[in-house]
Amino acid sequence: MDFRITEDRAALVDSVRDYLAGVHGVERLRALDADGSARSDELRRGLTEMGLRGLLVPEAQGGLGLSLVDAALIAIELGRAAVAEPLVDDAFVAVPLLIAAGGQEALLGAIATGDARVALQNPVNGWVADLDGATHLIAERDGRLLLDAAPARGEALDSVDPLRRLQAPVAAKGDDVGASDALLDHAALFAAAQGVGLAEAMLAQATDYAKIRTQFGQPIGSFQAVKHHLASAAVAIEFARPLLLRAALALEQGLASAPVHVSHAKLAAADLAWSVGEAAIQVHGAMGYTYEVDLHFWMKRAWALAGAWGDRAFHLARIDAAVIGGSLPIGPAHSFA
Amino acid sequence: MELAYTPEQQAFRAEVRDWMAANVPARPLVTLEREEGYHQHVAWERRLAEGNWGMVTWPEAYGGRGLDLIQWLIFEEEYYRAQAPLRVNQNGIFLLGPTIMEYGTDEQKARFLTPMAKGEVIWAQAWSEPNAGSDMAAIKTRAVRDGDHYVISGQKTWSSRASFADWGFGLFRTDPESKRHKGLSFILFDLNTPGITRRPIRQFHGDPGFAELFFDEVRVPVENRIAAEGEGWNVAMATAGFERGLMLRSPARFQAAAARLVALFREHRDRASPAAREQVLAAWMGAQAYAYNTYAVASKIMAGGHIGAEASLNKIFWSELDRAMHRTAMQLLGATAELRQFAGDRANDWLEGYIFSLAGPIYAGSNEIQRNIIAERLLGLPR
Repeated sequence: MDFRITEDRAALVDSVRDYLAGVHGVERLRALDADGSARSDELRRGLTEMGLRGLLVPEAQGGLGLSLVDAALIAIELGRAAVAEPLVDDAFVAVPLLIAAGGQEALLGAIATGDARVALQNPVNGWVADLDGATHLIAERDGRLLLDAAPARGEALDSVDPLRRLQAPVAAKGDDVGASDALLDHAALFAAAQGVGLAEAMLAQATDYAKIRTQFGQPIGSFQAVKHHLASAAVAIEFARPLLLRAALALEQGLASAPVHVSHAKLAAADLAWSVGEAAIQVHGAMGYTYEVDLHFWMKRAWALAGAWGDRAFHLARIDAAVIGGSLPIGPAHSFA
Repeated sequence: MELAYTPEQQAFRAEVRDWMAANVPARPLVTLEREEGYHQHVAWERRLAEGNWGMVTWPEAYGGRGLDLIQWLIFEEEYYRAQAPLRVNQNGIFLLGPTIMEYGTDEQKARFLTPMAKGEVIWAQAWSEPNAGSDMAAIKTRAVRDGDHYVISGQKTWSSRASFADWGFGLFRTDPESKRHKGLSFILFDLNTPGITRRPIRQFHGDPGFAELFFDEVRVPVENRIAAEGEGWNVAMATAGFERGLMLRSPARFQAAAARLVALFREHRDRASPAAREQVLAAWMGAQAYAYNTYAVASKIMAGGHIGAEASLNKIFWSELDRAMHRTAMQLLGATAELRQFAGDRANDWLEGYIFSLAGPIYAGSNEIQRNIIAERLLGLPR
């Protein structure tokens, strides 16, 4: 029993954080929004060169062969930097599904090099993010997943998140690559991870602002009412992170209870990012309500991810079935059931 | 990251489980806030000590088993799983014990720790004064040096356990000219020393679990002081860290309450509101989150890490979780919630628990103070 992140892991995560802080600062976000491009070839190349597209791809196919725990920690960093690049969808969500399906070695190798990219259709509402430029689509039909190598394009949907690229459902065809629950669980895990990163970033932005914004002759961060908003956000973040690690490891190990842990992490992270966003806008005052202050990029991503891959009601119902329904052992001797 | 128990840890769990099954009283004890219940709980402390379970993480030389924090968590899980009584000596074992371990002399360790682990001496705490609550640095009670004694005069209040306990510990102003955090010393005293008057205070629930203490020229030997004269504030802050930190409220306590709440919901599901249902799930989720976080912190400490102001995150989380889950239980009980006893003589322990939970966000430093600590020391906001 050891609930620590090893130093190797922490070093990898730090390198990703530093890289993103360097190339994907808020000026870049604003530029991607202003010119409507939303995606950066430079960022995509950089993430590929760091090996992140092959993070979960087995070494035999040219990847790093790391685990969902590593990927979850990196997804926190992607959330922190509000990265809209669809790295998570194919490299972190599709790859484990393709490994489990078997016989997809060539595609896995191509994902690692960036020659292939898999988009995902949300089994709950049929929406697809980042279909443009994707070589493949994984879509749900009757509880199964199909791998479509020539996906049709759907009608564009206009998300509140200025950097999100969504399309309406299209009919998919292709080979069966497994049960759709696995897609939902993996995608929900990584939405949760990004939610934690988004929350941490919004807390940091609001804290920085509270230190420099002066009213009544002193920084507003010296006022208790402001401090307490930020302290409550810090408490919520502290207790959401371990849920994510627990869920990632449960899914990696294929525990029967993994879906409950994923739902718990997703629900907690979505609530967290949502509420920290509200606290952050409050601390920023009227400035927080402007497009000029960058907070809105993070907050809108938080809303989008909160509803994606099973909304609050969906995940609460799964927890309900396990906890009140009785399929999960609960109580003090069952911390790791 | 390895979230599974070793065979040795599983064997330890089985050992605790067997002992608890054979020894935990079949009927719940009377509340320890009442004299009769206090004595029942002291008897339970001594029974625990006979099994060598007084404080499993302490060295064997002081009545412990020298176990690590993961084993402590396992012990606590089995303790609450067995619905064992609350620890009447929590001020001693969880707060003063670790303080003496860190700041005490070898002589003080030998003198105070073993009787504490064995339940032979039950401890009260004496921090607050009528005008020093959240602002503890406003302490006025004086301890004036007279040869090899201090002569203590003044008043303490809200002293947990002090109505019935044997010894107390607290902060006293040893330098009469000093202000605020300086000039305070951390002193232990026998509650039966001449000159001490205890006046039990009826708490919210009507029982006298804590007391006011009046000191009228009370002579206390200098060797009862922990750490150097005038160093009391730092020692007290360490004690407060233990109080807010890992040990005072182990996750098992809340996991057990959450499981009972789920059972209560099932019993009342036909008339429960959808909101109550969600609150029940929130209780389970909160207790699990608290457990994972505690395992994470324990793992960090075992690897040589420390927790400082992070303890404040903990204290806010468990105290607000505890209040919310007991409030949910009260709402599920509906009209029955007001009754002190259910059918027959079964105590309404949700009511008792709810009343106790209201104190959680206040004691050990109010949650407002904790939020200030988080804002200033973890987030770096200006004072």
